[in-house]
Amino acid sequence: MILTRHPSRDLAAYIDRQLSETRTGRIERHVAKCTRCGNECDQIRLGMAALENLPMVEAPDAIWTAVERQLQRRPARELWRRWALAAVLAVVAIALAYWGVARRSRVRWEVVRLAGAPVVGSQPIEASGRIGAGEWIETDAGSRAAVKIGEIGSVDVEPNTRVRVLVARPSEHRLALARGEIRAKISAPPRLFFVDTAAGTAVDLGCEYALQVDADSFGRLEVTKGWVLLQWKGLESLVPAGASCRTRPQAGPGIPYFDDAPESVKQALERYAFEEGGIDDLNVILVSARVRDTLTLWHLLSRVPVDERERVYDRMAALTPVPEGVSREQALKLDAETLRRWRDELAWTW
Amino acid sequence: MVPLSDREISAEIIQSCRSGDRDAFRALYDLYKDRVYSIALYFSRGDASAASDVTQQVFLKLMTGIGQFRGDAEFSTWLYRLVANACMDAGRRQKAAAVFSRDIETVAGEGSPEDDYARKQIASSVRVAVSALPPKFRVAVLMRYFEDLSYEQMAKALQCSMGTVASRLSRGHRMLGERLRGLMRRP
Repeated sequence: MILTRHPSRDLAAYIDRQLSETRTGRIERHVAKCTRCGNECDQIRLGMAALENLPMVEAPDAIWTAVERQLQRRPARELWRRWALAAVLAVVAIALAYWGVARRSRVRWEVVRLAGAPVVGSQPIEASGRIGAGEWIETDAGSRAAVKIGEIGSVDVEPNTRVRVLVARPSEHRLALARGEIRAKISAPPRLFFVDTAAGTAVDLGCEYALQVDADSFGRLEVTKGWVLLQWKGLESLVPAGASCRTRPQAGPGIPYFDDAPESVKQALERYAFEEGGIDDLNVILVSARVRDTLTLWHLLSRVPVDERERVYDRMAALTPVPEGVSREQALKLDAETLRRWRDELAWTW
Repeated sequence: MVPLSDREISAEIIQSCRSGDRDAFRALYDLYKDRVYSIALYFSRGDASAASDVTQQVFLKLMTGIGQFRGDAEFSTWLYRLVANACMDAGRRQKAAAVFSRDIETVAGEGSPEDDYARKQIASSVRVAVSALPPKFRVAVLMRYFEDLSYEQMAKALQCSMGTVASRLSRGHRMLGERLRGLMRRP
């Protein structure tokens, strides 16, 4: 029997040997004679082979922690429901007792001395100590310390640094960096670890990074793994691994750039973002941009004056094809959904 | 494709999970976590947050519902039905939510830096091409690649006919092939 229709929908099953012998034989004979189906088979094989370039990605450790936490909550919640109505007074008493205990035994993270004599509060730590919400840790020129951030990672506190624990809860881990440098290594779902500075907040999206703040509260974020989001009064800068971003008080996060960008571009960006730089600086940035520098250009698009926006758009379009669903008109209007869609596509090259 | 041999689930593990053995749950989790996370990550266009949520949901449902699971022969089917449903749900929510693609490290090869660079470029293009597939094609393509399920198992996991699975895989892979034609050598 010969096939009367092209077997397009069955070609993957044919290639994967998932069909009966009879059906496989029919398709085999058809494909040998039909150019269209032969070409389709080639395309499907190409698609299948292309997937071999996708590596398996290791699941973050924090997922198991979160699963276990959820599992532990369930029975407790069911029990509470069963007894709640009958035991209101007891619950109040238990809650009061719990509050008392919780105050005494509030979460305190472990601090390990790495060098010199770091101080928690006013007490120098020997080999190790503890730090809780509201307390400061301070290092001088010769001291360093490591703070274990709950179950999600650690932060190295470098010399001449002053940092405070603001919140120490499983759902929120928040520090305030007044000056100096910290190096964070976090393995957790995004948005569980935050660092506040005078020029904005660094929001962890699953990453490793260094954050510096100098005596004038000028800051610099350098990301070595994953992503960090810098936020300040509605302004956002998304910084991937291999990139950095400067921050200034009263101005917030600047424009992110890849660390391997030419020095002239970095200087032009600093002037443009923070020092009323002008058209000459923008020209340097646009002319020098490579494909991966669409990171910088994507952020610039919404921060340049309206009359310069087209130039930025055109440079981005020249560097990499504009994806489907991103129209020039909507991009120039800074339509949020359009910019998000474009960023998602560009981010694969960052 | 990923070989099946290293991840066969024994009836003892399933039975231990049913009786609430946390070590057995952990063993089950370790066996599947990277595959589930990888499917979720590529499905959600590299959004690590969404992929973590999907993986967490899948294993929570698996662990709280394993008492209803009967027999170990179709364990993968049951697990991947949870994965497919969680991915599709997350995909619907993602339309209105912010998406952050993440870097995905490719393993350095033994070739020159130029070879590594070229491999990274290809991997990046493949990820973009997979992201552009319609969700139903995307989940089928990823499930076939990362799990090596039979079409019959995939049909049960995706709750559709084997013909539909075949059709989605044919069209999905053809779309990938068309989009990546310039980059890839023919196999």
